[in-house]
Formats: sequence, C-alpha cells, structure tokens
Amino acid sequence: MAIIESARIGALLERDELLEGLRKAFADARAGHGTLLLVGGEAGVGKTTATRVFFEEVDHDAIGLWGGCDPLATPPPLGPFLEIVAGAPAGVAAAVDADSGAHTIAMALLAAGQRGLPLLLVLEDMHWADEATLDVLRVLGRRAGGTPTLVIATYRDDELERDHPLRVMLGDLATSDGVRRLQVDRLSAAAVARMAEGHDVDPAALYRRTSGNPFYVTEALAAGGDDVPATVRDAVLARVARLGPHATAVVEAVSIAPPSLDAGSILAVVGEASESIDECLASGALRTDDGGIAFRHELARVAVEESISPARRLALHRSVLLALTDSPRATSDVARVAHHAEQAADREAVLRFAPAAAAEAARRGAYREAAAQYARALRFGDDLSPGDRADLLEGRSRACYLADDQTEAIQVIREAILCRQAQGAPLEEARALTELTDYLWCRGYNGEANEAVFRASQLAAGLPERRGHAYVFHTQALEALGRGDLEASLEHARRALELGERFGDETIAGHARVTVAGIQARSDLEQGIDLLEEAVESARRQGEHEVAARGLNGLVFRGIEWNRHDLVERYIDDAIEYCTEHTEDLWRINVLAVAARWALDRGRWDDAAGYANAVLDDPRESPWTHHEALCVLALVRTRRGDPGAREALADATAVGVPREEEFAHVDLAAARAEVAWYERAMGDVDAATAAMLSAELGDPTAASRLRFWRRLAGLEGDTRVDGSGPYALSLAGRWQEAANAWAEASCPYETALALAHTDDVDALRQAHAECLRLGARPLATVVARKLRESGARDVPRGPRAATRSNEAELTPRELEVLGLVADGLRNADIAERLFLSPRTVDHHVSAILRKLDARSRGEATAAAGRLGLLEDR
Amino acid sequence: METYVILRRAGWRTVDDLAAAAERSTTEGERMPDDVAWIRSYVLEELDGSVGTVCVYRASSPEAIRRHARIADLPVDEIVKVADTVIVRPDPAPVAA
Repeated sequence: MAIIESARIGALLERDELLEGLRKAFADARAGHGTLLLVGGEAGVGKTTATRVFFEEVDHDAIGLWGGCDPLATPPPLGPFLEIVAGAPAGVAAAVDADSGAHTIAMALLAAGQRGLPLLLVLEDMHWADEATLDVLRVLGRRAGGTPTLVIATYRDDELERDHPLRVMLGDLATSDGVRRLQVDRLSAAAVARMAEGHDVDPAALYRRTSGNPFYVTEALAAGGDDVPATVRDAVLARVARLGPHATAVVEAVSIAPPSLDAGSILAVVGEASESIDECLASGALRTDDGGIAFRHELARVAVEESISPARRLALHRSVLLALTDSPRATSDVARVAHHAEQAADREAVLRFAPAAAAEAARRGAYREAAAQYARALRFGDDLSPGDRADLLEGRSRACYLADDQTEAIQVIREAILCRQAQGAPLEEARALTELTDYLWCRGYNGEANEAVFRASQLAAGLPERRGHAYVFHTQALEALGRGDLEASLEHARRALELGERFGDETIAGHARVTVAGIQARSDLEQGIDLLEEAVESARRQGEHEVAARGLNGLVFRGIEWNRHDLVERYIDDAIEYCTEHTEDLWRINVLAVAARWALDRGRWDDAAGYANAVLDDPRESPWTHHEALCVLALVRTRRGDPGAREALADATAVGVPREEEFAHVDLAAARAEVAWYERAMGDVDAATAAMLSAELGDPTAASRLRFWRRLAGLEGDTRVDGSGPYALSLAGRWQEAANAWAEASCPYETALALAHTDDVDALRQAHAECLRLGARPLATVVARKLRESGARDVPRGPRAATRSNEAELTPRELEVLGLVADGLRNADIAERLFLSPRTVDHHVSAILRKLDARSRGEATAAAGRLGLLEDR
Repeated sequence: METYVILRRAGWRTVDDLAAAAERSTTEGERMPDDVAWIRSYVLEELDGSVGTVCVYRASSPEAIRRHARIADLPVDEIVKVADTVIVRPDPAPVAA
C-alpha cells in the first residue's frame, strides 16, 4: 500500500493555499454568495485529487454532486450532468431527464442549494466538454454570484489552443463577478523528496525527470526499479508490465472504453480473465468508479490504449460494441456506442447509432457534437439511397450552422440539394434551398441567396400544400422585405403563418409572426410593437429561442428606425441578455453591433466601445457585425483623440464584407473619411470617398454623407443637393438648420460638429460645452481655437475647471458621494447610480470619513450639515 | 498589450486625494490583469497648486484604459500610444518613497 500512501501524501503536499481558496469560496456560497471556480493545471498535476479531498471534507454540509466529461472524440451531450442525475435533487434530475436545454438545467442547479446547505457541484475535465455542457457552465458562471452555489470546474490549461471552445468561454466569463480562477502548480523538489521517502530512488533524479508532476512521480514510484522511467508513458507501462496476462487483458479492455467499463461488459470482452479485476484494483492500476471499472488517471489509460496493436484494438472494440449493444445501456448511451461502432468499423452499427447520437446531441444544444456524429455516419454512408443521404447531410448542415461553422454548413446543404434532386423530391429540395438561403444571407451573399429563393418558390409552386411550403413562403417574405416590397412580404409571411399553424409547426409559425409584426411596426409603431411583444412572449413560453431572439432584435431595430430611444433602452439589455443566456449567438452579436452604432450616435461612447468589443470578442464568422463593430471603434477612438483608429479601420477592411452589402461599404468609407479629416490628411478623405461616389449608390443619403466629409476637407464648396436631411443641409452651408436636425435625431456629436461650423459665438460655445461633455477632445480644441479667434473670452479648458472649494477639501466626486450617503443610499446603490465600481465607492466613502473625521455614515452626514457642504445641491 | 502614456492634468486638489486615487487605481487594476497593467507615473506640480500625473500603462486597448479610469474614478485627458522606449538613465528615486 506504499503506492497509495505516497499518492495520498502527494495529494496534500503544497496544496494548503488551494484548499484555503476552496474553503473560502465554500463559506461564501453558504452565505449566499456563490462562485464558479475554474481550477486549471496540467494533466496529472493533481486537480482531481485536491478537489476530492476538499469535497469529502465539506460533503456533509452541502448538496454534493460530482460529474466529469468523457475523453471521447465526440462526447455525449451534457455528459457530466447525466452522471449526477442519480444523486441530484428532484428539480435537477427532472430538468436533465426531461431532455431540457442548457439554460433550464443551469437554472435548476442554481435553485437547488440553500443558505447553510449550498449546492457543491464538481465538473471535471472541462477541456473535453461538449457544447451543451459549456453552455450550462456559462450560465452558472454568469449567475452563481447571487445564489448559494459553489461550482468547481477543473480543466487542463496546457491543452487549450487559441480557438478551443473552453478558452473562448473563459474569455466570455472573464468579467463576471462570480467567477474566479485557481491554478494547481507542480510540486517542489522538497515535496517530491517527501513522496520518495521509503523508496529506493534518488529524489533529485526523480524530481529532475518528473518536473514535480505528482501523477508522474506516483507512477514512477509504483513502477519500482532503480531508474526513473523516461516518460509518464514508460512509467505507466512499467507498472502494467508487472501484472499477470489475465490482468493485462482486463487493463487493455478497460483502456479502449473510456470513461469506464462495467464488470459485466468486461466479462463479455475478456471471458474468464475478468477474474483478475481484483488484481488490477489491488495493484492500483485500476479503480472502481460509479458505474464500473476505470483507470486511476486518463494519462494511464491513454498510455495503455496506445500500446495495443491496431488489430487487437479493433477486436476489442468489436467485443465492447457487442457487449454494449446487448445491454439496455445501448439506447441511453448512443454516443458511446457510436464511438465503438466506428472504431470497430461496423458500418451497420454506425448508421444505426451515429444518427441517433446526432439527434440526441442536437436536441440538447450540443451542435458541435451533433455535426461530428452526422459526419461519422456520412463516412460510412456512401451506399445509402439519395434520400437517406440527404437526411444526414441536412442534419449535419443545420448542426454546423448552429455551431457557427457557416462555410461548412453551406457546402453540406449544397450536397443535400443535389441528393434531393437525384431522389426526385421537389418539396424537400425546395426546403433545403430555404436553408441554403438562410446561411447565405448570414454571410452577406444576397445575390446568390435570392436566386435560391426563386428556385425554391418555383419548385414548391403547384405541389400539394405541405409543411415545407411554410418555409418557402417565409423565405420569400424575407427576400421581399430585403427588396423593400413590404406588401409582397406581408402577404408571403401571412401565408407562411397560416400554413405553419395548420401543420402544427410552431417554429416557422413563430418566425412568420415576428415577420408580420415587424412589417406592421413600420407603418404603425404602437400596434406593431404590441404584436412583436406578443410574438416574443409566445416564443419564450414555447422555448422557441431563435424566434424570441429574432423578435427581440426586431423590437430594437424598430425603436431605432422610429427614433424612439425609449423603446431601444427598454429592449436592448433584454435582447442581449436573452440571446446570451440561450446562446443565440448570431442574434446576440447582431444586436450588439446594432447597439454599438446606436450608442455611438447617442454620444454614449463608453457603451459603444463596450458593445463593439463584445462583438469582437466573439470568434464566430459573421462579417457584417465585426465590420460594424470595428467602424464604431475607429470612430470612438478618433472622436476622443485616442490612438488606434487607423488600426481598427484596417481590421474592418480585412474582414472583407461582400461588395453587395453597400451600406457597410458606405459606413467604412465615411469612417475612413472622418478619421482622415481629424488627422488633417485631406488626400485620404478624397481617397476614402471618391471610389464610392463614382458608383451608383442605392441609398440617396449615402452620397450626401460622403460628400459631407469632402466638403469639410475643402474638396467641395457649398452645394445644393436633393433631400432635406442634415447632410444635405450641411452641404448647402445651412449649418444651424443641420444642427437642429441632428439634435432632433438625438445625435449630440453630429449636432456639435454642425454647430462648430457656424460663425455664431453662442452656437460655438454650445458646441464647445457639448464636446467637453462627450469627451470629444480634438473637436473641442478646434472649436476653442475658433472661439478665441472670434474674440470670445473665458473659454473653459476642461471639464474639471469647476473644482469647488470647501473647508474639508472634498473633491467634487466625494461631495457627490456624500450627498447620496446623506440620502441614505447603500454603497452598492451609489455605485450603480454613479456608474462606479462598488470598491471605488468604498474608497470614496472611507476618504470622506477620514476628511470629515467621522466614524460612521451618520456622523459624516451630520458633519456635512454642520459645514454646509451639501447646501448648493 | 501595448504601451500607452496617459495624461491626467490637474486631476486632484491635493497629494492626499491623489494618494487615495492611486489606491483605487491599484485595486481596480488588479481586477483586470489581462487588460491593464500600471507601469509607473510621474506626479506633476500644476501651476494652480493642484496635482496631475503622467502615467505609463500597458493595456489591451485605449478603451481598456478608459474603462479602468471610469470605474476607479480617475480623470483622462489624453491617451498616446508609445512606439518605442529609449532609456538613457534610470528614473530618479521617488520623492515620497
């Protein structure tokens, strides 16, 4: 038992700090302040062992649940949560069993704990997590803060490449308050020496070779002998080599069936050799796991699996497949069966289990895994009939699209369309064409998309009406909307709605409702808004998340279109929140990009930059949103006089939005012109605008907008142009009217820019004050110079010139905080009111107490009254 | 991460106010280690008797500097990106070390 002993010592050596961190988070969770703790470290460094020690320590004071991800190339969806079902509270078990999506499961988990008896959830090996599991983790991270929940998620930080889904999620969660990261480090030379006590091995050599990796140290000690094995693999295999032939057979069988194999299956695979299970357990090579026999560590399993010859591996997979399909587990664990079916090269089994696993994964929201399972089936599906093959291709295409691999989605749906043609199934072909259209629109390939709509409508016309027609009509509605033909769009959308309802397809009916409401909102805002809200509400109730996300986007767009900023304010956070929680990622970055431009126009540059950066943090392929975010960022920077505007413009150009998205190219040209104008690079203003202006522009205001910058750059004189918008007024030199029009549209920066071109001292002063408020330093400098040239005195230099004097020498901000303290607000409320962090408010309050020599908030308020500090509020 | 110089002219009435601001700056900065890292500052004696600073930061973007300034309640006049560093002599010893 010396091996187990040294492993135990290793587990506790140099882990005090880590355990303290876990204990503190647990105490906080008991008090209702939950945390998602991300515990990172290399493979074998002892993440599990340390977590296990802590888990056993506090288990009786918590609802303890323990689940892990499987190291399969395509893991089962929500694997860790399926594992915890048995011991989970009823609410959690019901959510997992009911085929729910990530959001419902996360909410059930967050509701499971209570103060004094928190939920303690350990999720192991998150670097292998499926997409749906990561979605649950994301919600837990965003929401754990206010609940009695401690989630400990372990992961190998040395295996996260740049675009690893877990790394992307860690980035998303970086700013969440309830998320903390802990690191598990290798052991020191001293700790390794302690583990080596009683073994006949040179501790210095052991440390040198293992670099203090506890798993390696334990395996090397278990392998015995005088020399330390050269690699972890050698150490593991040296230990296995000491087992008898029967035990070796058991170890090999278990190695090809992660995460574990039950005793019955082992018997089926290795026959009488299974009697040696006990020998494997006693030697420490294997351990018992909840459902069966497993390796002590994944590193050991991989070492053994890789040492088996390919022919033997194939035979083992065949036996395991047979054992699994014989048991009732086959239907509940299809992902695992599909894995063995492929490894066993059993075509029939792959075609039976991989599509089932794919459907299961898609239902749970694990689209990456669904796409991989469909691909697995397709690898064995060359001889399928065109119709069967098209079914698989359509499934894979949809899964790729939802997993944000649009390039692959487009390629695969094209293949499906060809299969439908070969099959002679026109309505199915039309339906596949509507899918292609969706994906093409997403990438901005409008011309090609519209051709597909036309083909789909031709195919569907004249066929007896079925469910597929609803999709064709709805795609036609969107195509007409894009052309600005509202009447045709409304008619198609209504037919789609009617057919969707008749054939009981809530998804397409919901989409059609949103489209109808959106069109009506263009002519009658109030009525349209009511309809949109109803459509969103009904989609939410039915769990039609994409419909709801699209409807919320629509509410924001209509608010912007009608210049109803109150509506935009009301819906924007809701839309972002909903899309984030339900991982409607494309709609999320869409609304964020729109929000970025909207906030920029409102002069809310911090918000604009925040929204833009949220778009840019998203790794998805979405040309327009990234292009828009970069344009907004360039403008925020140039208007503030911050560096980096040119870099953002270069990145926007590099995104490569298709030429047919004219408005995006006008946005970019206008942004380039503005940046160049601030840099006094008038030649660049010319270069930015000339090419666009020589082309025929669809939008009449686009030309005025570009010529506006040419006029400011002195490339054009006063010109009369058609239209009465603010750009046209500016081009005609009617600056005050232009300013009024901009003010009417709630665009403060553009208002100031127009006022800056008047010769009226009051208007210039107004422009200057506005620039200081906005933080538009470069424009403020221009206006201040103009004011001084026109003889104005007392032009303020900056927003802080108005520092008031008071006896206690409080800063203006401290006076502001003091006022709110006197009003009885708590620090958290003050922070919210003043857009500060709670910690900063804490600092201000302590400074106030110090300066006023007060011991409490009450004393400070009294002192403020005595000194008359708050009288001129 | 890029290097930036941040001008905070006449930002505080007194050296004590600046000291309090520096404490807030540190606290908030430690909460966003991937976005901002404060390198050093020079405290300016302004003509009106107030104090300002010139700060050198490493940051992921100008917006990160502004976000840090906003939540720690620090003024920002101007952010300039540093293209290169030429060190001729070490900094003088801090006055109030």
